[in-house]
Amino acid sequence: MSAASHRDKILSSAFCFFALGGAQLLHSSAAANSPPEKRVTFNRDLAPVVFRTCAPCHHPGEAGPFSLLTYGDVKAHARQIADLTERRIMPPWLPEDGEAKFTGDLHLTSDEVSLFQKWLSDGMPAGDAADLPPAPRFSADWQLGKPDLILYADSSFEVPANGSDVYWNFIFRPPIDSTRWIKAIEIRPGERRLVHHANLIVDRSQSARRREKSAGTGFPGMELQIESESFDPDGHFFFWKPGTILEPEPHDMALRLDPGNDLILNTHLQPSGKPEKIQPALGIYFAEAAATKFPLLLQLENDRKLDIPAGAKNFVVADEFTLPESVSLLAIYPHAHYLGRDILAIAKFPNGKTQTLIHIPRWDLNWQAVFTYTTPIDLPAGTTISMRFQYDNSADNLANPNSPPQRVVAGNRAGDEMAHLWLQVLPQLPTTGANDPRRVLQEAIARHHVENNPQDFEAHYNLAAMLQARGELAPSIDHYQLALALRPGDATVENALGGAFFAAENLPQAIAHLSVAVKSRPDYFDSQYNLGLALAMDNKFSEAVEHLRAAVALRPQDADAEANLGGALAANNQTGEAIAHLRRALQLNPKHSLARENLDSLLRDPAKP
Amino acid sequence: MCFCPTRTTRFIFFRTVLLFAFTVASLSNMASAQSVLDLRGKPLDPLHASRGKITVLIFASTDCPITNRYAPLLQQMHDANKDQVNFWFVYPDKNTTAGQIAEHLRLFAISVPALRDPSHSLVKQAGVTIIPEVAVFDANAHLLYHGRIDNLYEIAGRPRAAATTHELQDVLTAAIAGKPSPFVSSPAVGCYIADLQ
Repeated sequence: MSAASHRDKILSSAFCFFALGGAQLLHSSAAANSPPEKRVTFNRDLAPVVFRTCAPCHHPGEAGPFSLLTYGDVKAHARQIADLTERRIMPPWLPEDGEAKFTGDLHLTSDEVSLFQKWLSDGMPAGDAADLPPAPRFSADWQLGKPDLILYADSSFEVPANGSDVYWNFIFRPPIDSTRWIKAIEIRPGERRLVHHANLIVDRSQSARRREKSAGTGFPGMELQIESESFDPDGHFFFWKPGTILEPEPHDMALRLDPGNDLILNTHLQPSGKPEKIQPALGIYFAEAAATKFPLLLQLENDRKLDIPAGAKNFVVADEFTLPESVSLLAIYPHAHYLGRDILAIAKFPNGKTQTLIHIPRWDLNWQAVFTYTTPIDLPAGTTISMRFQYDNSADNLANPNSPPQRVVAGNRAGDEMAHLWLQVLPQLPTTGANDPRRVLQEAIARHHVENNPQDFEAHYNLAAMLQARGELAPSIDHYQLALALRPGDATVENALGGAFFAAENLPQAIAHLSVAVKSRPDYFDSQYNLGLALAMDNKFSEAVEHLRAAVALRPQDADAEANLGGALAANNQTGEAIAHLRRALQLNPKHSLARENLDSLLRDPAKP
Repeated sequence: MCFCPTRTTRFIFFRTVLLFAFTVASLSNMASAQSVLDLRGKPLDPLHASRGKITVLIFASTDCPITNRYAPLLQQMHDANKDQVNFWFVYPDKNTTAGQIAEHLRLFAISVPALRDPSHSLVKQAGVTIIPEVAVFDANAHLLYHGRIDNLYEIAGRPRAAATTHELQDVLTAAIAGKPSPFVSSPAVGCYIADLQ
């Protein structure tokens, strides 16, 4: 087992509720201004726009507070709709219309916006019934049919009646006994008028469970930090917002799910005025075949530069990164908190041409989303991606969480800020073998983050893990030590550093660091296992037995831990017990060759292990 | 109907009060002639019923998320001030039944009494255009204020983390203390009452 681990991405979600119009009243519409043949009618002109852009949220059971499915529905909110569309508040769609097109685009053209105005001044005629297109049908059932696996959160969370937004994380533990590949997950967050956004993240090392006060209760927090063992970068977004139409992953890009993996649902909730319970569910659809293509999430960021003075209206943070490999850009997810205002990402190609990847002229955390390109954008090696985020920390920014404004710096809490740009890319070269372009990309981005911010714990840690994975032990140890200097005693780093020293055959240093890890977190399987192994290699068998026993107690299903415990017991002349543990290892994994060899040798000659 | 109380000098304020005292009688006559109904379907004029106390009318609907979000705050304000202030929820949508209103109050734990205003007589009297909007009348049924509860919502779709101004509370505090109202009106954010059929 590799002692490597790396700590990576954080996604967050956000939400706010649907909100309503301003106070200025539009012109009253008793008099129809146009001749009848030129009047805008609901059936011919408005219904196609309303059905496409409003109805997905405004139908029973969805997040919109009222339905917009019929002439009567739309007439009953005509002034409000005309006002909100004119001010581009509804439908909620952040990106400015441009060269890059996104799936699920809700953007209204200016002609479409003026239709609503004109309809109102024309007296809101229904028009010819023959013009009315069929109303969209929405099913309350699972969107892709019955899921292969339905999971419910272990317990519900009670959203208080009153107060500001709440961020809550639910942990799902999929009961699978072999590796499965996921092609789609429908997120059913519960009462949709409370949950505006939800993000699902795979936790391959059960690291989020440590944050639960007791198992199954979930835990608070806007941003998540997930650790993962070995090189296993995230490649998928699973993002829910109201009106989400579930799109399965491409058939060759399914997501791997191993036994013991957790799924963490990060939700952004808003009180409704009465106490409400939510208990989300997931509908999981398995793919028929394993993935053959492995996308990767890359993050540009420059949080270190986020130190926004109180009152600053135009505070800019930028970052740029040059791709060392050719990729296709599949999707983009900009992320800032409440002070974000104007968000821009641009690609500059090696030939000098540029393309806007996304421009959000009026950022609104409440309507953030993952934006998937209708056609992936090819970014050849050498393309520079730049991000430019502008922040408004003045009292004029209504979303400002502080009144009066206060200095705001980077952080994970809602009142802190972020400057993150996530890119989902698919390397154009195959992602198998030693030259996996994902490793090159990950290492380049980790190096970039270290250069951006020498105080970035995660960047040092991830770079160290990358270097360790390709056997560059000396620089790996160096970066682990830099990470450790930033978080002295951190069990994860102590464990990884111990693992790197172990790989470099420096047993005294390995044992020293692994001992610190075990002392600070006795329930940390990896460090108990690694320490047991290092002690055994150092011929300290009775101490090794002690830690390997602890590892087995923490993960009774782990064949490696059982096999090593058997080996250490045998070396410590506890033959009978050794045989029992080696048999147990073979029971867990009949193909475990090391356990088989050791057991055979013990049974042949019990006196000489 | 528009009232413009001036507060620049004591003298002018005094004059305005007199003017209001004059207008009050006609106002309350007007209200009683209109069809404001309690949930049993009986006509009820909240300004007449509140005579001697300050009256707060909260214009609401059963499907407005902004109204709902204010329910706990409004209930607290009612509980804290019930000796001096009568609160009423007023539902101007003529298609909303008394049963639906009762259910709405139950769901949001509102014990404030409710009225239906299907002919919008209270809407006109209070000068309100938005749901939710509040109107505050003094003990003589003279309109002191109409507008937002606070500035939690100032632009649609962008609620603040918490309100930073508290217009309704400030108006009530002044009215209870017998001081002039600090605000006459303010823009509310929500659904247009004019959209109601």
